[in-house]
Amino acid sequence: MQPENLSNREPEFKNMEKDTIILGVIGADCHSVGNKILELFFTAEGFKVVNLGVMVSQQEFINAAIETNAKAILVSSLYGHGEIDCQGFRDLCLEKGLDRILLYVGGNLVVGKTPFEIVEEKFKKMGFDRVFPPDVDLKKAAELLKQDIKARFGSDSHGPRNDDQAGQPEKSSPETDAGTSKARNPKAG
Amino acid sequence: MKKIVSIDIGSTWTKGGLFVLADKNLKLEKRLAVPTTQNNLVRGFSQALTDLLRKDENTPLKELVGAAEIYFSSSAKGGLRIAAIGLVPDLTLQLARLAAMSAGGKVMASFAFSLTRNDLATLEKLQPDILLFSGGTDGGNSQYILENARKLAGSALTCPVVYAGNRAVAEEVVELLNNKEVIVTENLMPEVGQVNLEPAREKIRDIFLKRIVSGRGLAEIVELFGSQPRPTPLAVFELVSAIPVHQPGWSDLAAIDIGGATTDFYSNTESYLETDTVVLKGIREPRVKRTVEGDLGMRVSAQSLLDSGWPYLEERLQELGLGAESLKAYVDRISRDLDYLPGSEEEGLFDRLLAETCVFYSALRHIGGWKETYTPQGRVYVQTGKDLRRVKAVIGSGGFLSAATTAQIMRHPLLKLKTYGQERKLLPEKPEFYADRQYLFSLLGNLVEKYPAEATALAVASLEKLNDEE
Repeated sequence: MQPENLSNREPEFKNMEKDTIILGVIGADCHSVGNKILELFFTAEGFKVVNLGVMVSQQEFINAAIETNAKAILVSSLYGHGEIDCQGFRDLCLEKGLDRILLYVGGNLVVGKTPFEIVEEKFKKMGFDRVFPPDVDLKKAAELLKQDIKARFGSDSHGPRNDDQAGQPEKSSPETDAGTSKARNPKAG
Repeated sequence: MKKIVSIDIGSTWTKGGLFVLADKNLKLEKRLAVPTTQNNLVRGFSQALTDLLRKDENTPLKELVGAAEIYFSSSAKGGLRIAAIGLVPDLTLQLARLAAMSAGGKVMASFAFSLTRNDLATLEKLQPDILLFSGGTDGGNSQYILENARKLAGSALTCPVVYAGNRAVAEEVVELLNNKEVIVTENLMPEVGQVNLEPAREKIRDIFLKRIVSGRGLAEIVELFGSQPRPTPLAVFELVSAIPVHQPGWSDLAAIDIGGATTDFYSNTESYLETDTVVLKGIREPRVKRTVEGDLGMRVSAQSLLDSGWPYLEERLQELGLGAESLKAYVDRISRDLDYLPGSEEEGLFDRLLAETCVFYSALRHIGGWKETYTPQGRVYVQTGKDLRRVKAVIGSGGFLSAATTAQIMRHPLLKLKTYGQERKLLPEKPEFYADRQYLFSLLGNLVEKYPAEATALAVASLEKLNDEE
């Protein structure tokens, strides 16, 4: 049998060629306002945004990224427990076969007045590619995201076919190694 | 006045009902059951039909054309056997299972991520009636899908494949599986969290009609009377779907159908009410949902019920002061003699405990729950699965529950669920219990498509409200 006529679905196909990113607030964090703003902003920037909302677990981020063949996961944390919630996130990604995915994190990541440089280093050690303070310029963040996607997935990163980052849990790309990500990373924000 | 006949060809009994329709009022005139002959389903069908129409048993079917409108369903050897493939267990695989069950099928096996050699061997051995193949959002993951398609192409699987995964690779999947019959339909989950079961359900139904029913004489019936059969559970599903639409006061309901081999649980109620303090995790389940449990049943599955349901049974045996050994002996007996009916008070009690156990575990698996979590913003409930708190009517159907004389058979196991496990189960808060006393649900389900208001009115009117007294 023939698949349905797909040609009259052009607009949707255009949407399918956008880079998918996963968005959500991690842990027991219910702050939903910023999350909605991020969704609107990144959609306007041309991304296909899958917003998982508040109180999202690591596993949920990863499940959504696998099904959608996402290029990046953007983790928000606003209630100060981000460090505990994000522990082991990169490892779990590798475990589940997402060995090239970009991991971004931002918000009020720790309680108290820790200098941002220290916070950033902490999260980079955990395997996050970029770490953002609460007052980040979103425009800049979006530019960095576009650059990073291009660098990691190549110029031919668009389109539904190119999803070779999934399914090979045993082959971890050295690119995503937490230790090396710092070198490529200009100061965020 | 119009005569309408509805017939349900079950695995052991062919049930029939003669209805008359006058002034938009549907009435049951006659009801009967005759034994099913597996190798020729037409024999039981025509026996039921001639009897209902008060004709001689040997009247050729041809001569009955025009005597009544005819609708029928078939459980086709214990139902449609479906194997499901998804990607992530909590997302597309969960939806594939739900789609299969709400199409009237029974999920024989389900597989997530990449198919292993073992999985393929299981599939080949199983030879299901249908393989439901899903995974990936539209434009999302394709690697697992294509890899699994390649593996399936090399397998000895002969059944039709319904592809309801990432639309972007549908054509490639068809090419890879060019040695199989592949039916492409819309994705079960076009976007994360977006649930789209209807198109796949339709395709499963089409296959049921074409492949599974023909061959055993039913084609003749279709040709003569011009009506298509539906899978029996689908008929009930359609009735449960239509009742809230057409019957005021029946907006939220559930039905439990306990048979010899399976227990079906149907619900029709909004699955999640969004509030500031309740956060839903995982997929938002459909308003109308069917789950079917192949290990919970009164006869064919009595042995597996004993295994799956032991914790509940053990507690109840203790409460009632009954011996575990005599229950086990009884289960041995009914597993060998499937038509056995209880011969003593104790055996009657055992049957009742088995039915309660079917209710308990089918509800446990069907109904969602809340976990309490404390956040810096206060207490929040994290919901997974479906919320049945607003369900006001719980209907018992199937041989055993149709004959129930007390609401306790259903109420008791549901109460036990309240204190079971870590999370708070989202059980019906103030349920009334009913029995489908004349066992009309599947027969009326056949009429719903054509006569939704009339069939649902009779379904509701024929229910008998159960009290808690014995």
